Amino acid sequence: MSYQCPVCNKVSSSALDLSRHMIGRGDKVHRDWINSKGFKYSELLTLQFKSFGGEGYRALSEVLEKETKVKD
Amino acid sequence: MTTKFSVLGQRVHNIDGTEKVTGSAKYTFDVVLPNMLYGKILRSPHPHAKILKIDTRQAKKLIGVKAVVTGKDTLGHKQGIWRRFPELCDEEILCREKVRYIGDAVAAVAAIDEDTAEEALDLIDVEYDLLPAVFDPMEAIKEDAPQVHDGVELNINITRHIEWGDVDEAFKKCDHIREDQFKCSSQAHVCMETHDAVASFGHNGKLTVWTSTQSSYYIQRLLADMTDIRESDIRVINRHTGGGFGSKFELDSAQFCAAILSQKLCQPVKIVLSREEEFTATKRRTPMYYALKLGAKKDGTLLAKEARVITEGGAYTSMGATALYLTGFFSSFPYKYPNYRYDGYRVYTNTAPTSAMRGFGAPQSTFVGESQLDMMAEDLGIDPIEIRRKNGMTPNYEVPGQAFIQSCGLHQCLDKIDEHIKERGKLPPNHGIGVASYGFMSGGIFNWFNTPYAFSAAVVRINVDGKVDVYTGACDIGQGSNTTLAMICAEELGIKLEDVRVFSGDTGICPPDLGAWGSRQTLMSGNAVKRAAEDCKNQIMEFAAAKMGVNIVYDLDIKDSWIHIVARPERGVSYYDIVKEAIRGKDGVAIMGRGHYTPHRKGMISPAYSFGVQAVEVAVDIETGRYKLVYVTTAHESGTVINPVGIEGQLEGAIMMAGGYGYCEDQPMDDGKILNPSIADYKLIRSLDMPETKILEIDTYEPEGPFGAKEAGEGLTNPTAGAIGNAIYKAVGVRINDLPITPEKVFKALREKEKKKAK
Repeated sequence: MSYQCPVCNKVSSSALDLSRHMIGRGDKVHRDWINSKGFKYSELLTLQFKSFGGEGYRALSEVLEKETKVKD
Repeated sequence: MTTKFSVLGQRVHNIDGTEKVTGSAKYTFDVVLPNMLYGKILRSPHPHAKILKIDTRQAKKLIGVKAVVTGKDTLGHKQGIWRRFPELCDEEILCREKVRYIGDAVAAVAAIDEDTAEEALDLIDVEYDLLPAVFDPMEAIKEDAPQVHDGVELNINITRHIEWGDVDEAFKKCDHIREDQFKCSSQAHVCMETHDAVASFGHNGKLTVWTSTQSSYYIQRLLADMTDIRESDIRVINRHTGGGFGSKFELDSAQFCAAILSQKLCQPVKIVLSREEEFTATKRRTPMYYALKLGAKKDGTLLAKEARVITEGGAYTSMGATALYLTGFFSSFPYKYPNYRYDGYRVYTNTAPTSAMRGFGAPQSTFVGESQLDMMAEDLGIDPIEIRRKNGMTPNYEVPGQAFIQSCGLHQCLDKIDEHIKERGKLPPNHGIGVASYGFMSGGIFNWFNTPYAFSAAVVRINVDGKVDVYTGACDIGQGSNTTLAMICAEELGIKLEDVRVFSGDTGICPPDLGAWGSRQTLMSGNAVKRAAEDCKNQIMEFAAAKMGVNIVYDLDIKDSWIHIVARPERGVSYYDIVKEAIRGKDGVAIMGRGHYTPHRKGMISPAYSFGVQAVEVAVDIETGRYKLVYVTTAHESGTVINPVGIEGQLEGAIMMAGGYGYCEDQPMDDGKILNPSIADYKLIRSLDMPETKILEIDTYEPEGPFGAKEAGEGLTNPTAGAIGNAIYKAVGVRINDLPITPEKVFKALREKEKKKAK
């Protein structure tokens, strides 16, 4: 299974990887998409720095798991 | 030490050493041209402000002033060394609408002398509209923080992510996990020669710039970008440079302002930055907030590491984007982590831009990583050397998806340091020895500059008297690269070092080379020179074979200027005689060879890596917290040693610089203003503070390097801060996680320890 970025169509092998891509990319369009899902991009980033375990990535990946296109 | 070489491995003083010690070497500072004017730069006193108006009328009226320029006199282009990514080219140099740090340039003056130029600066009236500013990256990342660059939300300049393995799963399998936070401070380059330039724009439309730089080619290209003068109409000359350490391979205000003023006047203009400008208006080492999570099995096997970094970017991208990547990559060094994750964020702030500095992100990652590794070893009850031995990189190791390590002498280095520590025996009270391992690259496989040229190129010309001229775009910035390249050329041609002359760093006569950064010149420029010399050698051999009438099954070689049959060394001819005849036989054309080098299929980072282990012994005064660096021993491997004297120089310089980073150097600020912008206030390690040093060279051979050589310059700055921290812990049992480890911090930690003990 693969996951496609809803903004730039980059394909990732897992929702977690896609989440890392979207947060890491961090440009306006990616940020806007993340914010439109009820997150605060800056909070996800700060969370990434303040704690280990990728909570920021995980929270976003749960949404991506459901909402991004899944290819065979 | 191997003895198969004639020239390499000899203890050679720099080929320009006599010029330098007698004071006859001409630096940019010494360049004087007819009708030359002197320039000064007006800088922002505010960390963040809109420029409403710049009134230069009074300054222009001052007798002796020839020109005043502001951002409006420029083409308004933004420059940056990451040319492949236009959004990261964010620095105008002469600001037009907004200043972003105390020191940003707003105007420049050319006058008949420096005093007049300085006086004119006072007559320029700049009207600012002050804006709220942000200085700490942790504040700058908040949603309501002031925006340093319009449109860059949260002030996030760039992010980098590196990952391999399954980090989360691996942590579940660990017997012990540590989480620690660290803070790495800034550091100034403090080159003996400040940034300077003499620009001369002629009526023929050509610009010549003498400047103190680590890369003449970069400056040529960046000036072309900023002025729209064709690249080949710009000649950049770097004869001698009084130190660089990462501060001099980007276009700076002295170079740009001198060029703009000269272009306006068609007269030469010289600008030399003051020491205060050097501290406040040039770039500096990147401060970093580091958080590390490390997981291991009971036996010390490291299973997973996670690193998070936020760096203080300052006002512009600069080379900080590379530092952000390299600190993440070197955070995994020099160990075999099966699972690794790194997230780095570079954040704009209203402070002086941060950029490359010797070690390029690795001194930070090595300090934090080596500190935490010692803590892990203690938690597990394992000897610090043993945990490093257990996990250290070995030859032919692949860093997953990142790099391929060919030569690696880390384990031999650990053995040597282990022996050294044992030899030191029982230490006096409050003495401790700390160790730190490190690795570093031999040049970067990065082309963010977007050059169409080979990374290194060289031309070798053999003259009729057998003397050899090497033309290289590499820059000797005091590290002795001209000597290294001359030795490589002499070794390849089998001639005496005295027969080789090097012309370097002049874009008018030398082929392009990316310059002196990332410890690249020995390997990359060295390969180019070796190949150019080999090209010449092949031509000589053709003539020699014909002249000697040897059976074609015999191989010829040159050694000690004697061209001979390898199997019968006594049968040969003089190199000098053959060269004369060869040139005559080529219709009088000098023998010319060309060589170039660009790494291919060598991973993403570097074609080769050097390794080492350092042991630092400290003596701590438990009453005051003051401590002394007693002894620094470094086991280092850099492949084939070209010049032992050069390595010793690098080592001593590195200990001075890296010791300062660990011990005393810092750039405290108040609302964005650097508080110690002078040599008097900026604390460096001086000759009297230097510890006794010893280098234990480990013999390795790097297949990718010229004659097996690799990096020996920057890597040595990586371990010292970590080793100091570990040594202090060994000596008195306190751990300092933020640099520099000043006596004040040690004192406070000792008092805290006492309080806890009392409870």
